[in-house]
Amino acid sequence: MTEKIDIHKLSNGMVVLGIPMAQVQSAAFGFLLPAGAAVMPEDCCGAPAVIEDWIFRGAGGRTSRELTDLLDGLGLHRNASIKSKHIELSAATEANNLLSAIELYADVILKPTLDESQFEYSKQLALHGLAGLEDDPRQKTSLLLAEHFYPDPLGRSTVGKLEDLQNLGAEKCRRLISEDFNIADTIFAVAGKYDFAELCSLLEKLFASAQPKKAIDINAKKQILAYHHHPHDGAQVHIGIMFPTVTAQDPDYYNARAAVAVLSGGMSGRLFTEVREKRGLCYAIGASYNSLKEMAGIKCYAGTTPDKAQQTFDVIMGEFKKVGDQISEDELHRAKIGLKSSLIMQSESTSARAGAAGADYYMLGRVRSLEEIKQQIEKVTVKTVLDFLNKNPFEKFCSVTIGSAGIKTEQ
Amino acid sequence: MKFEHKKLNNGLNIVAEVNKEAQSAAIGFFTKTGARDETDNINGVSHFLEHMLFKGTDGLSALDVNLYFDNLGAVYNAFTSEENTVYYAATLPEQFAEVTKLWCKLLRPSLRDDDFNMEKNVILEEIAMYKDLPQFDVMDKCRALHFGVHPCAKSVLGTVESIKALKSEQMREYFDRRYAPDNITATVAGNFDFEEICDLIEAGCGKWPPKQTSRKTEYFAGTAKKDSEKKNNLNRLHICLASPTVSYQDEKCYAAMLLAKIIGDDSGSRFFWELIDTAIAETAVMQCEAMDGVGAFYSYINTDAKNGEKVMQIVESVFQSLQKEKISVKELQTAKNKVLSSITLKNEVPMGRLIELGFNWVYLGKYRPIEDEIQKIKDVSIDDLTALLADFPLTQYTQFSLGPKK
Repeated sequence: MTEKIDIHKLSNGMVVLGIPMAQVQSAAFGFLLPAGAAVMPEDCCGAPAVIEDWIFRGAGGRTSRELTDLLDGLGLHRNASIKSKHIELSAATEANNLLSAIELYADVILKPTLDESQFEYSKQLALHGLAGLEDDPRQKTSLLLAEHFYPDPLGRSTVGKLEDLQNLGAEKCRRLISEDFNIADTIFAVAGKYDFAELCSLLEKLFASAQPKKAIDINAKKQILAYHHHPHDGAQVHIGIMFPTVTAQDPDYYNARAAVAVLSGGMSGRLFTEVREKRGLCYAIGASYNSLKEMAGIKCYAGTTPDKAQQTFDVIMGEFKKVGDQISEDELHRAKIGLKSSLIMQSESTSARAGAAGADYYMLGRVRSLEEIKQQIEKVTVKTVLDFLNKNPFEKFCSVTIGSAGIKTEQ
Repeated sequence: MKFEHKKLNNGLNIVAEVNKEAQSAAIGFFTKTGARDETDNINGVSHFLEHMLFKGTDGLSALDVNLYFDNLGAVYNAFTSEENTVYYAATLPEQFAEVTKLWCKLLRPSLRDDDFNMEKNVILEEIAMYKDLPQFDVMDKCRALHFGVHPCAKSVLGTVESIKALKSEQMREYFDRRYAPDNITATVAGNFDFEEICDLIEAGCGKWPPKQTSRKTEYFAGTAKKDSEKKNNLNRLHICLASPTVSYQDEKCYAAMLLAKIIGDDSGSRFFWELIDTAIAETAVMQCEAMDGVGAFYSYINTDAKNGEKVMQIVESVFQSLQKEKISVKELQTAKNKVLSSITLKNEVPMGRLIELGFNWVYLGKYRPIEDEIQKIKDVSIDDLTALLADFPLTQYTQFSLGPKK
């Protein structure tokens, strides 16, 4: 099966990507706007969360209620997420509503009302989100891990900082929107049932008048990887560990993915087997690959009761240290099959496919076909993974615990 | 899409929907058993047993099972609710026969003592994990309060005490009683050959001895009690409300589902405009849980502790206004559009279709094509909603609040 990938650039530089899927009746789309957490000025941590809510509170001459009624009336499944570099606005719907939905999103992005009185609500919601994080220690572990692992501002919290949010004003946010919503640097991706020519002509009509803006430079500071403990009187200790690895652009990328799959690809993966199956230390245990454009990490999470925290950490570290010594042919075979089949199964979802196309273009400047990814996974051998692990051993790491007890990390 | 059905001689049903366009295929064994089928002394056994099915058979160790699934590149897992335990796997079409054979074997587990004792630790960790997720904890506590002495009050996970005290013999006895072929529906969706898969299921499950299982399904309207708890480690107020509604078997469940969207969808609903748009709460959602013979609307609200009283005043006024004034045609149409587009999206993936197909058979004992479901949603009228609200006033709710000590 050869997959078709549609690519077009609007006259102002905005990239339009399309993955046609013959068997579906839906379409999913997403805009990657270059206004993520790391792009914000020093004292504006949390601004993207406020902006993402504010721009939907009225646009294109419509009130907040009129706009929401129209979006909901199309039966859109909407999502907005804040990433290191982007605000991602995405939605999925029945294919016949796609163009109407895009017209409304164009207003949200280009002509938001940004009413002063609505700003306070958006800010209060962001403050709620930050306060709510205290009641979700697992999610907080993940955010703190990114913050301590990636050099500032790359790992900056997507939820925000209390002081910055409190001091944030409407005028400042308006300025950030006008500077950072750079359409020429925006990536649009769609997957499912659509007519690409019709779509491109609509996007040209809607977005071409938006002139390119100056790209924002980010100077990442140096980061020292260390252990951080945050006391919390909960039932479990939440452990997060992150090791540096190669980025998605690196020739060793697929070797890194295979190594993670050996450790945590399925229930026969080493971490699940050693930590949960053999020792009963955890319910939740797993590792995943996590990449920004500039740097990447392999992230591991485990939640366990306080008296088992040290043992859990030690067993996990032992497995990371050992994996470079030996990998069997069978283990790698399973890792590769798992990577390939989850790739194909995820590709059945229009939302997953549109999201992956946008992320690929941002990371690599192109969209990989499923066939290309399969072939690259095929090329991985035990030798290539072990060579990669010997070049990039799991030595330095950053770790975070949230709970009533800390751990000794010997770093 | 083509529907197929076969009932084996021992009572096990196989229901399937074949879609040759799909890239994958999914299978699920829907076992009609859950927390409501337990007694207090074995509370949590259904969920614990779900974990134990992955521990293998006389010929397969736990590690063999995991290796087997992973060698097939399967996406596989299981979940347990108050009334169902579902085991599933999705694979590419070429691996599908193997994964089907594997599940047929695993459905007759060894339940070895050493595996049981080790897995007990994992279950206790899972209970601890949910204690640190107040949005789940408050739902569990509200459900218990709402259902009172009704079997649906039982916690799916069980308690630390009930799990610690549980013996492997009790689990074996429960398994023998509940995992009878007439209580299991093998459901299949996606790209596969029906005859081939049917033969495999018959070869794997056809010899299980038949047995009659049953469940008490008396209706219960809920206690409408109010309770709360304060915890040191919490920063927010988590409120859960429960009020009665129709069961899965009742045709009015479509109206109930739409009503929950109108009141508590995460965008454009009554809760949204009153509580989220105004930034009084961070989350305010409502969902309809239509179950076997009973049903409940659950609302969940997450807010600052100081807003608790204000939130409840607003919720009361939303509920009261619905009792007094008719819902608008536009509101109903928007809710329908949302539900219809989620049906399209969900059914495009074999795993999504599997869940719908399986539950329709478990609860209704019949196949319901997607087109019928769509038509039933389209047919819901304002009068249906008004009648539902008259039969099940939202103002008679059970409430559990979980909040910070300070």
